[in-house]
Amino acid sequence: MSAIQASVPATPVARRGRLTFLGGRVLEYLAVLIVALTLNFLLPRALPGGPLKLFGSPEALARLTAEERAQIATEYGFGDPIHLQFLDYLHSVVTLDLGTSLSDGRDVTAAIGDALPWTLLLVGTSIVATTLIGITLGVIGGIRRREGKGAFTLTGAIVVDSIPQFWLAMLLIVWFGVKWQIAPTFGATGPDGTTVAGLAQHLVLPVATLTITGIGYIFMYTRSSMLSVLTSEPVQHAHARGIPRGRLVRRHVLRPALLPVHTLIMLDIGFLAAGAIVVETVFAYPGLGRLTFGAIAARDYPLMQGTFLVLTLMVVLMNLLADLTYPLLDPRARTGGDR
Amino acid sequence: MSAATTAPEVVARTRRHDLLGRQGGVGTVLLSLIVATAAYGFFFLPDGAGKKRVGQPYEAPSGAHPLGTDDLGRDLLNQLLVGAGTSLTLAFIVAAVTTVLAAIIGGLAGIGPRWLSATIMRGIDVMLVLPELVLFILAATFLGQSFGIRAAILALILWPVPARVLRAAVLTTWSRAHVEAARAMGAGQAWLLARHASYLLGPLLVPVFVRTAMRVIIYDATLSFLGLGDPTMPSWGTTLYWVQVNGVFLSDAWLWWAGPPGLAITLTVVALALIGTSIEDRLNPNLQESR
Repeated sequence: MSAIQASVPATPVARRGRLTFLGGRVLEYLAVLIVALTLNFLLPRALPGGPLKLFGSPEALARLTAEERAQIATEYGFGDPIHLQFLDYLHSVVTLDLGTSLSDGRDVTAAIGDALPWTLLLVGTSIVATTLIGITLGVIGGIRRREGKGAFTLTGAIVVDSIPQFWLAMLLIVWFGVKWQIAPTFGATGPDGTTVAGLAQHLVLPVATLTITGIGYIFMYTRSSMLSVLTSEPVQHAHARGIPRGRLVRRHVLRPALLPVHTLIMLDIGFLAAGAIVVETVFAYPGLGRLTFGAIAARDYPLMQGTFLVLTLMVVLMNLLADLTYPLLDPRARTGGDR
Repeated sequence: MSAATTAPEVVARTRRHDLLGRQGGVGTVLLSLIVATAAYGFFFLPDGAGKKRVGQPYEAPSGAHPLGTDDLGRDLLNQLLVGAGTSLTLAFIVAAVTTVLAAIIGGLAGIGPRWLSATIMRGIDVMLVLPELVLFILAATFLGQSFGIRAAILALILWPVPARVLRAAVLTTWSRAHVEAARAMGAGQAWLLARHASYLLGPLLVPVFVRTAMRVIIYDATLSFLGLGDPTMPSWGTTLYWVQVNGVFLSDAWLWWAGPPGLAITLTVVALALIGTSIEDRLNPNLQESR
């Protein structure tokens, strides 16, 4: 096995036709989705600390008669047999009717609809910044790995990768928000409503936090991928043929080296929304992560299930998208395997 | 400097005689210092250090309290020292349990019967789709925040990634020529593992342990920071939680209150990452095969 193949372990195409392959993958994702839905349904119900606790203090609950308890349970559907609850759940997922929040009576679909764009804006901006900076540094670090700078950036990447997100967020608030007062430290919009400048200003610190803590990983991955392609036989042969350095990197190294990075980033995007919980909490950013954290803290089952569903869906969709876009980058995956 | 690197250069890099290289050395020294600090906190500080009120609230650093006190008048330096013990103990226990879990499950998925392997791998796929941080928050909220529960939650959620790595390693090892030869001569799986594969697979458990310890430190601190820590145990994350709750960034107190615990988390993770990276470099099968 040549080093190039070894460096691309995630080549997803086996010796099957491409359509069969995609069909298989979609089925696999459907299966994952169904299991995730089931878990999503069961998890809050299986955990101790039931939803009745939400309706008052333990003393107040103790005063409730059995009838009153049953009435609350029926009203919110907790009293039905479990399989009926599950069917109800599936039906409501398909019709996007996710119920109303137990804590503030809001429609769950609407609450998620309000929060999702903010998270997409936040996560989208930071993934673009992270990818551009991380890959650029990684490619340079891979090519110059034997020079002093290369080693330094690797250590730098490890340090940056190790900073806890919430701590960096605090430091940024202290310096940029409180000391120098050049960037707002909470919320997504300013007092004068939704203006482009206001949106951008409120994005600066959260995006900076996500980007700084994110580049290390992408940098290290890109760098090691570059290294394994640079030492591969085809590239060494091309080097021996006297192909100049710039052309060698552009034509022979970048594409195979960036393939696994592409897969990594696609998979990461799905998780970033969940990973933004911390940043959204510290900066009081009105996104999905903050909504999720609030829902769990308040034991708000409908809202919790709704946000989990969306977070899980994002991961599955990004997995699928990674599979679908892979052949665009890797010609070997386009030929249906008979290379 | 040419763009392409020749294999011998890479080999020369990995053949250095020192055990872990300069990075690994720095990491080891750093980690030893942190472990020593934790041991000092554990053995030499009086009971209840960092938990008891010892001065006025919001004291600035002084001779008696080098890092000042928090909003309840508790000594922040003591919290830092005791917190080191809490974090490291949790990290090492969880890392050990997770490594064992991952080795058993990954090993079974690698050499077990086909149905078992398929079941395990699908299970891992599903677990990897569920966002870790959300699961941690959920579990910590509902199951509680005591040390044992925290450790169990972390271990149960962290094993899939290393299990998949170890399964891949088992499969690679099982296809090596000397293992295939032994199998052709009728060796059983247990004998293959003990005699022909253990020396290849054993070292791989070390980076798994180190990486898991790293993730535990970060996740534990994150959970504590979100207010999901054990309120009776001083820890780095909990100290930072109170920083956030009390709005300490508005005064200069953040410097001695928020700075040291954050720095401690970062340094611990850096130390583990340096050690992990240098071990992985040495074990990288791509580099070894090119010898």
